Amino acid sequence: MILGYLGAGALLAALVMGGFSAVLSFWAGFQENAVMVQVGRRAFYAAAAMTVVAGAVLMWALLSHDFSLAYVTEHTDLSTPTALVAAGFYGGQEGSLLYWAIVLGVLGSVSLVASASLGLKVAGCAAGLMAVILSFFLVVLALVASPFDLLSLTPPDGLGLNPVLRDGGMLIHPPVVLAGFASFAIPFCFASAALLAGRPDSAWIAHTRRFALIAWSLQTTGLVLGMWWAYHVLGWGGYWGWDPVENVALMPWLATTAYLHSSMVQETRGRLRTWNFGLVILAFLLVVFGTFIVRSGVVPSVHTFAISAIGPWFLAFLFLCIAFSVVLLAARSGVAGGGEHPVAPVSREGAFVLQNLLLIGVVAVVLWGTILPLVSGMFGQQRVVGASYYERAAGPLLLVILALMAAGPLLPWRRAARLPSLRALAWPGATALIAVAVLLVAGVGSIPALLALPLVAAVVATCFMQYARLSAGWKKLPSMTNASAWRMRWLVRRRRRYGAYLAHLGLAVLVVGIGASHFWQQEKDVTLAPGQQVTVAGNTLTYTGSEQRQLADHSELVASMRFGDATLEPALATYAGLGGQALTHVAINTTPWADIYVVLAGSNPDGSAAFRVFVNPLVSWIWAGGAIIIFGVVLGNLGERAPAVEAVRRRVAASVPG
Amino acid sequence: MIRWSIPALVVAACVGYLIYSASGGSAEYYLTVSQLRSHAVAGDVRVAGVVQGDVQKSDGGLHVTFTEKDGTASMPVDYSGTLPDIFRPGITVVAEGRLGSDGVFHARTLLAKCPSRFSTTPYTQ
Repeated sequence: MILGYLGAGALLAALVMGGFSAVLSFWAGFQENAVMVQVGRRAFYAAAAMTVVAGAVLMWALLSHDFSLAYVTEHTDLSTPTALVAAGFYGGQEGSLLYWAIVLGVLGSVSLVASASLGLKVAGCAAGLMAVILSFFLVVLALVASPFDLLSLTPPDGLGLNPVLRDGGMLIHPPVVLAGFASFAIPFCFASAALLAGRPDSAWIAHTRRFALIAWSLQTTGLVLGMWWAYHVLGWGGYWGWDPVENVALMPWLATTAYLHSSMVQETRGRLRTWNFGLVILAFLLVVFGTFIVRSGVVPSVHTFAISAIGPWFLAFLFLCIAFSVVLLAARSGVAGGGEHPVAPVSREGAFVLQNLLLIGVVAVVLWGTILPLVSGMFGQQRVVGASYYERAAGPLLLVILALMAAGPLLPWRRAARLPSLRALAWPGATALIAVAVLLVAGVGSIPALLALPLVAAVVATCFMQYARLSAGWKKLPSMTNASAWRMRWLVRRRRRYGAYLAHLGLAVLVVGIGASHFWQQEKDVTLAPGQQVTVAGNTLTYTGSEQRQLADHSELVASMRFGDATLEPALATYAGLGGQALTHVAINTTPWADIYVVLAGSNPDGSAAFRVFVNPLVSWIWAGGAIIIFGVVLGNLGERAPAVEAVRRRVAASVPG
Repeated sequence: MIRWSIPALVVAACVGYLIYSASGGSAEYYLTVSQLRSHAVAGDVRVAGVVQGDVQKSDGGLHVTFTEKDGTASMPVDYSGTLPDIFRPGITVVAEGRLGSDGVFHARTLLAKCPSRFSTTPYTQ
């Protein structure tokens, strides 16, 4: 009971501080009043701290099973393991919004600490914008969806967590995705602040890039973990269903991928300024749009969401953000401009421009597929699209992006490439041709596979060429007395580039995994008596029998299948307490080349059992590729000091007269 | 500026064409049972409705027949494959497939509305 009041009080205090910070920071920023900018920033820290306090109170209430709180009652019960009780924090609408506000407050505070170097105006506006966004969430939390609502009667036990969510994945996937979503707000705030303050030079790019990179890395991790979870828990043999909930997580990731590449053009050549602002802003708008879609239930999704009162609030917030961004970009694009000189089509920046346009094209494809039910519903009968739409519309675009990944890094900056520099393209080209030949000899007839996999081979060849250049440069370093330290520094200075190529290699591995499991997945539905065998794609499984096991809160039907030396035990659990809900436990035998994925459908009175058996080639490459991407990004950027803002400014000044 | 717009327009045209051709071929109607009953649609559709109590499983659970109902309209559904975990009478499912001439809806896929982490039933006293 007391925890409910404490938490609600903390939220209210945070809201007051957030509102105060918003008003003061904008005013002080435009007045260029150093003291007041500082006060506004500290008010934001205070708001963030009170949000964290509210979070701590909710966590305490969950762990102490305080069922006087409706939220605790609805999402946990006494039998839930402690780790999952803690996961209940972000397991519901209200708690996940609070988690979001906490991430925004903490990451926002961190980003503001380092913002003083951007100038008073930019720092003030950034703090103001961040405070506005935080306050919006606090208003929703305090008024519409409070996790601290009290029940008039305290029940003896809670309702518990759905068994589908009682999984280790629940502990890592949702918090990472939500944190990724929340962190896209920070680049948005700094980009908009630079525009608002009329200071669209490159200083903001250096500052924003780090936070865009954090958001992008969190989102990459979240997406891969989500695929992993769906694959291991849901038992349909796949990992990506083009559901609206997945789409809205993918779109800001695509937009930020575009930004991370085009920001390099601005850093190196001082171009694409307005475009970069647009990308950062677009990523955040897609996040707000996605939150609205996911939380309001306007689009039919496999995930149903409580149609709650927060829908209209997020819709209003979305319109506000769109209006603000459009006006801002229109009013200030003249100020930002300056960089829009023509770019030589066959050059590094030309490749970046095309890659950016294509990524935005993919965003458009995904967005249209997501909102089609809404749009068609307005003009008649609702229509929906399935996976084949996304494959046919986005597939060709993704193929061209792969080709650019292979060719782009080998093109020179600045001028149109002449023949000598194009000679480097022969290596990836030859690799691709060899890959085509190998695939044809192996009897592959599918055109998409014949295009995608050779392009991936070309990407790998390009990355290895870059590493060969690095090692050639390393060998040419002059030897001197303190050579090793100097050589280390030489390497560290270049790590961003080589970390990025590692990420490219990771993506290549991931694409091979997706391609192989997409083109060559095999499945078979089969009913077997004990002792009978089934063969799928050359893998023979023998069903040896099944048994019923009774556990504390559920019973399990476990079937045993022998596969070589291994035994696979797919199971079917039934939770009597939850209306007899079933939960499939998939059995997966993973090798580097293929996953044998067995789902138990049920058993017959005569002792036979029904299975669906999948053979999914190279699925483990997807998880490995995701890990390599993150490793490359971390290696290339961890511990990066405040990026050389001055150096960037000088470079830009040199390349853009005036 | 001119040289900028040309590649942008070309890419935009390609994306537009891809979206148009892909969605024309694969967009399906999303209906409730009563809407399907009131006007016949050629081709595959997705039909949302509530599973009734007459679920009949055979073939070890790989084949199932049941009645899907919304409001007053109902239709028999026939489906082969693994069932979603939360499939049971009373939940809402989306069946994807087509209505046969026998009056039975032959489902290719069966999606259950996931009891997502955002929608536990509110506690009522």
